[in-house]
Amino acid sequence: MVILKHLIQKTIISQGSKRMERESMDGHCKTYQDLKKYRDQHILEHVSSNDALNRFHDFILKNVFDIALRSIIDEFGSPPCGYTWFVMGSAGRFEQAVISDQDHGLIYENANHESKLFFEALGKEITTGLHFVGYPYCEGNIMSSNPKWCKSIEAWEHQIKTWMESDTWESIRYLLMFYDARAVVGNKEDVTVLKGIVCNYIDDHPEFLQRLMDNTMHLKKAIGIFGQFIVKNHGPYTGSIHLKDTCFFPYINVMRLLSIKEKIMETSTLVRLSHLLTFPRYDEALVTFEENFKKLLEYRMMNHEEKKEYDDFHYLKISLLTPEQKKELKRIIKDGKRFHQYVQCVIRKGC
Amino acid sequence: MDVLYILNSLWVMIAAVLVIFMIGGFILLEVGSTRMKNAGHIAGKTIFTFGIASIVFWALGYGLIFGEGGNFFVGFSDFFYSGYEIEGIGLSTPTFFLFQLAFAGISLTIAFGGFVERAKLSPYLIFAVLYSILVYPVIAHWIWGGGWLSEHGKQDFAGSTVVHLTGAMAALAATIILKPRIGKFNKDGTANKIYGHNQVFTALGVLILWVGWFGFNAGSTLGVDGAFFGFVALNTNLAAGAGAVSALLISLAMDGKADIPTMLNGALAGLVSITASCAFVEPGAAILIGIIGGVIVYFSMIFFDKMKVDDPIYALSVHGVAGVWGTISTGFFATPELATVGLPGLFYGGGFTQLGVQIMGVFVSGLYAFVASYIILLVMNKALNRLRVTEEEEIIGFDVSEHGGYGYPEAFDSKDNNKSRF
Repeated sequence: MVILKHLIQKTIISQGSKRMERESMDGHCKTYQDLKKYRDQHILEHVSSNDALNRFHDFILKNVFDIALRSIIDEFGSPPCGYTWFVMGSAGRFEQAVISDQDHGLIYENANHESKLFFEALGKEITTGLHFVGYPYCEGNIMSSNPKWCKSIEAWEHQIKTWMESDTWESIRYLLMFYDARAVVGNKEDVTVLKGIVCNYIDDHPEFLQRLMDNTMHLKKAIGIFGQFIVKNHGPYTGSIHLKDTCFFPYINVMRLLSIKEKIMETSTLVRLSHLLTFPRYDEALVTFEENFKKLLEYRMMNHEEKKEYDDFHYLKISLLTPEQKKELKRIIKDGKRFHQYVQCVIRKGC
Repeated sequence: MDVLYILNSLWVMIAAVLVIFMIGGFILLEVGSTRMKNAGHIAGKTIFTFGIASIVFWALGYGLIFGEGGNFFVGFSDFFYSGYEIEGIGLSTPTFFLFQLAFAGISLTIAFGGFVERAKLSPYLIFAVLYSILVYPVIAHWIWGGGWLSEHGKQDFAGSTVVHLTGAMAALAATIILKPRIGKFNKDGTANKIYGHNQVFTALGVLILWVGWFGFNAGSTLGVDGAFFGFVALNTNLAAGAGAVSALLISLAMDGKADIPTMLNGALAGLVSITASCAFVEPGAAILIGIIGGVIVYFSMIFFDKMKVDDPIYALSVHGVAGVWGTISTGFFATPELATVGLPGLFYGGGFTQLGVQIMGVFVSGLYAFVASYIILLVMNKALNRLRVTEEEEIIGFDVSEHGGYGYPEAFDSKDNNKSRF
């Protein structure tokens, strides 16, 4: 019976992940409890680099998916069609911190009632599982458990077109979010095809790129007019700056917008950069980008052993920095602002 | 009857009404700056404590401040004022009495800022009486009632020290004894913001106070002769405006956001700062005094949070620290022409003498007000088996725990209770 279940699972997985190689834990973690224990025990062994940490996260994500899928198969039987499970946000960009919240969605091939029931149940199970294992729920409900993020490929195509045409702040935000989507399980092409709809739309409506840019124009100030860090003056993060909002976002947003412009489908900020640098016109303007972004990833990991909560990784206590580090961080922040201005110039005026 | 006498009386009567109406400003300011669950309580206590202050001032306060004889601390005559006229003050004595009564009421209201969202109801009743007998009259006597500081020529035209600093020192004593509200500070010592529930109330409260301040400061001319009240009102307005702008800009520069409560506190700090000096300085100096008041209040708010002193409505910063600055400011900016009391300030050829008097006055008055209030509250804390409500009462809110009702019933009552009302 166990062998039969294993065979069914293998079949299902091969259906779902036609092009992605699956990792396995050799059956050690069959439950969320086991997986949580494994994650908690081993995650700090993978903090040496951003890549190592994110490979570990991917490994956990895939195993959560497996457990969730097994559970739904027990209830509903085999998946009725092929599917893709993708992650977005920092997970999509392969830039998760030790603790990151959930941002994910599901695409399934057949638009019928049976598939809808199966994958909506799967989406809910994945979301619950991820939360149990240590990934907080997304406050914006951008998770596979939300029918808006769990659709047939046909419905996805319709939704993306509707988002572009409705042109509301929320729909533009969803589009930008979706452009960071990365398939973890299933057919990578599904995500690429859907992203391609956005790129094609921009070919026909070039002004839409500016609309996307307008949505991300707000920059949270991190340095005051006296050249001082603008730190939080209340709450548990008093004396800290919000690293994600004030430092990372300008870099991430710039790279995402330029990637949409140049039809780059990769999601990692640094991989996007490497693709962009194949265009000679970006060489000069983005010269310190890579070094700065890597430094930011390092700053995020500072004192990681003391960080216990999801928000802990978003804040950086300024008093812990040396004078040189403070100077360097200010330069990185100022460069981020400069990149931000540069991308506005590129998109508005084509300079 | 002498026209000037009538006009003086009428003007001071109007000023007294304006000052009493400032109680309405305090109600909105305090209610807006605190949480919904305490709204009715805060509004109500402000009214009845003014009632207590009025009666005590009539019975004892006036005589302790302005009475003849007495000792180093207070005068000792004219108790239980019967409405008689005093010759030679140029206006109706009951009007003057009412005007002074209003000041005593305002000072007490400021003191109760340190009680907000923590103290039981009974301490309000008892401290209102004791403060109005043992604390406020002493400082008012020293500076306005012919006491030793008035003999030194201390300049405090409308009460930066007498009204505001005295009230703030009592608030400081109260907030130290009562300890911070639940949830104000984290275990690592960092402070949380406990947001007020209605910034519109707070802003409207500030505007009412701003308008009332024309009675407070310009009314302190106690007459219309020479129409000097207009000059005092002009200085008052300029300092308030300067305080609002400077506080807004400093919060923008330091925090990257223009914080509305800070701006509102800046306006009040400008008003408190100019209260001592409004009749002694030129309009340019009034603006500078207001600007500095607005900047000081920003840093003061941060300072008290770092000291783990919970000051829910920023009484210590707005009335205390700005009160200190306002009193000292005349030591710098009083001009030879306007310094009808004391000497010109340091920047107007008066040397350090007046500055020294101002600093000494602030220090001694502040110290007395703090120590006296602290002792009173400490004794009350023992006698009443603590001044603070229980944890449960604090969490459910004072409207229910102290009064059995709600400031905002619709927001708190169950649906069934709501239905029964309609």
